[in-house]
Amino acid sequence: MRKLSICAALFSLALCGVLNAEEAMSMNAADKAMYAEMSENNPAAMDVAEGEELFNSLIGQEAYAKVLGVSVKELPEMIAGFPRMLTATPKYDFTFPKTMRKVVTLSQSLQMALASRDKKVFKLKDKEMNKMTAYVKSLANDLKTNIDVKANKQMEEMVVLGQKIFEERRGGRGLSCNSCHSADIVGSRLRMQELPDLGSKATASASTWHAYRMTQSAMVSFDKRMQQCMKNALLAELPLGSKEMVALEVYVTNLGKGNTIQIPGLKR
Amino acid sequence: MKTLIKVKPKDYKVGDTVKIDFMAMHPMESGMRKDKDTGKIVPAHYINEVNFLFNDKVLTKMVTWESLSVNPVLSISMKVSAAGTLKVLAKDNKGESVETSAAITPKG
Amino acid sequence: MERRSFLKGFGAVSACAALVPSIVSAADEAKKVSGPNEMSVESALAAITGGKSVTPSSKVSLSAPEIAENGAVVPVKVSVESPMSANDYVKAIHIFATKNNNVRCANVYLTPANGEATFATRIKLGTTQDVLAVAEMSNGTFLSAKQNVKVTIGGCG
Repeated sequence: MRKLSICAALFSLALCGVLNAEEAMSMNAADKAMYAEMSENNPAAMDVAEGEELFNSLIGQEAYAKVLGVSVKELPEMIAGFPRMLTATPKYDFTFPKTMRKVVTLSQSLQMALASRDKKVFKLKDKEMNKMTAYVKSLANDLKTNIDVKANKQMEEMVVLGQKIFEERRGGRGLSCNSCHSADIVGSRLRMQELPDLGSKATASASTWHAYRMTQSAMVSFDKRMQQCMKNALLAELPLGSKEMVALEVYVTNLGKGNTIQIPGLKR
Repeated sequence: MKTLIKVKPKDYKVGDTVKIDFMAMHPMESGMRKDKDTGKIVPAHYINEVNFLFNDKVLTKMVTWESLSVNPVLSISMKVSAAGTLKVLAKDNKGESVETSAAITPKG
Repeated sequence: MERRSFLKGFGAVSACAALVPSIVSAADEAKKVSGPNEMSVESALAAITGGKSVTPSSKVSLSAPEIAENGAVVPVKVSVESPMSANDYVKAIHIFATKNNNVRCANVYLTPANGEATFATRIKLGTTQDVLAVAEMSNGTFLSAKQNVKVTIGGCG
């Protein structure tokens, strides 16, 4: 059974190779420039603007900075380093999440901030959360992602777990993230589409999500995008906010560490 | 209908030609797509008229169709003649309309 | 799979459009230029030019990708060489997707106050086809440019 699925995977990889030869079907530089230019007018800018309103009315930069234990001035640098470990300050009685010394994503830190202000805590999959997180991440625009996976024991553990999940073959076809995004295969084609190198400057994956997905005409978050990728590869989707999903985000963000944050991105 | 107007570049003088980008959140249904759950065809629903006015004088009028992408973006040029207000009136085929404005503030 | 049926939907346009005549006509009655939401290039052009000839011209520059990553969002940019003065300007820019059910995408009526005759947007293309831009000049002539866009069904979701 396992052999069979590996065979199938190899076969599809071989197909990719054939398609790769069809240079005629790849976009030329002018085409790529045109698509790049489109990001100047990103429909997701409207979502980010709505996120700004939500954030300012429900939390505000000052209160959020307090939750993170930094000054408002330090906020962008802090945001550029997510996912990171947060520790509760005793004066806040957090109801969510329960364990406070843990590695959290930017969205989860906003959940904490909402809880600390006795506001309704949006779920990670909620539209409001999506928009608000995109806005907050955009506060770090033009900075470089500065995730520190050596910052503490928890982060060290998460990056190891993340890599394990990235490389673990699962699902009906025995595919892993690495099956399509390993260094030796990126750039080959899957149904005419180049497989992106998640760590490269050109892809800048972690630093350009939240992004407007043209195939869906909607703004999608980084973890949601990874879920969609899992779904298409017939892997069970890791739940948003689960330890495994956060670990994966830590690992992939770290692959692209140092890339410039540009929110919202614009993707196919 | 959520909308947004962008004027580029940020700094400009009287006499400069700037780019005006208008964006709207709209499904732009073609009337040919089937609903996944009900199997019924989703009725056409698209922006069919967009008018750009500067200080209440017509700058550009557009008649638009369902072939524009979802959440359409429309960009035109404008020669800045004075300070004032740029207004964009957009209407869809179900009669919903929205008015958006942006201040035109030339420097020097 | 979804995308494929979306594309097919565009191909089988006439059948579908026939099913929704009421909505379509309600939308179109308000406008003079239009008939039902199904229109060929010939009739769309005739409605605009009134039978005058349309000349391909290097004064009209149309940019669209040779290969579109995604048929649902294809960037299109048009600029027309013109002084945009009170006597000599571009009256309108029309964009057509020649193989869509309704070939019309946008009719853009400019004024000299535009300063430059430019228009940019994003369109849906049901299949590989020519995109056609027609510029209506203030002296009553019609100039055009076209470009072929290959639509792929690429990628993994």
